[in-house]
Amino acid sequence: MPYTFGTPEWEEAFKKLTQERIATQPRPFVVFSPEWIGEWEKYVQNDAKYKELAQPNWENPVILHMLKNPALGVDQDIYVKLDLWHNGECRSIRYIPNTAVGQPGDFVVTGTVERWLAVGRKQLDVTKGMMQGKLKLKGDLPTIVKAVKSSVRIVETVGEVDGKFPDELTPEQTEAFRKVVQDLTKEFNIT
Amino acid sequence: MTQIIFAPGIEDEGGLPVMIAGIITGNLEAKPERQNDFNALNGNIYMRAHDAYVDMTMVFEKGKLSVHSGKVGNPRISICTDSETLLDLANINIKFGLPHYFDYAGLAILKKLFLTRELEIKGLFAHPIMLTRFTKLMSCR
Repeated sequence: MPYTFGTPEWEEAFKKLTQERIATQPRPFVVFSPEWIGEWEKYVQNDAKYKELAQPNWENPVILHMLKNPALGVDQDIYVKLDLWHNGECRSIRYIPNTAVGQPGDFVVTGTVERWLAVGRKQLDVTKGMMQGKLKLKGDLPTIVKAVKSSVRIVETVGEVDGKFPDELTPEQTEAFRKVVQDLTKEFNIT
Repeated sequence: MTQIIFAPGIEDEGGLPVMIAGIITGNLEAKPERQNDFNALNGNIYMRAHDAYVDMTMVFEKGKLSVHSGKVGNPRISICTDSETLLDLANINIKFGLPHYFDYAGLAILKKLFLTRELEIKGLFAHPIMLTRFTKLMSCR
């Protein structure tokens, strides 16, 4: 039986899985794998630059939406939610199902895997990417524009956590990554 | 209800035109008192983010706005700067119904406009009222 998203059991099981994989998987972790998400969460939680730029009363989650690309082991769209709170606190970073996306107050940044890899490699500036439509932003624009620098900082951190990008994997590693995502999808009900 | 029309294909492409339209729409919803400024605007305003190689034109017709990619017609006001500064324009404070340039955000804009020339605004002196109204529409503050 898959865990039901949003329940304490889901949260506990996800944390356990992440910790196990952090302890057992070879480094560098694959970017956007569960173990990498765990590392990224710690990084954002301790990021002094983000804390400095963040709004004291910020309460809006930011969701990064990666469009599927089966050739790179991503068979379905992936949504990763950063639960951001007052004074630069990052309460958690979690995969979420598409049914949980689009709540009032959510900001969703959508891009192809290639665009996210370009952001991660610092080849694509986040603000320019949004202006060019390479990254698409959904949500209440005036709210996010007031916090544009902190929002950009959050997305920039994707490239600062040590990781192996999906296009750097061998075919065997790509298949292994695909299986991890598929298993995660089933077990944690995040389709 | 604000009437904003996108030229064909723009909404799917996203980017600068959709962001600016989103800012204006959101601001008018949150601050309906600025509707008068929207209704009074008449003429074209052109914007270019030179570092992102994107540009757009807003065609205001007294209560209607159509948004286009690229340059359309003969704009009364042209704003050319980098992507970050374009978004900074949306952070100018409004005080007593007018843009306020004598705080941190406002002074940074003035510096880029008159000292470093990182921000270029054509029509600043020829159409000051139009620019003031547009600045109010753009301001998320």
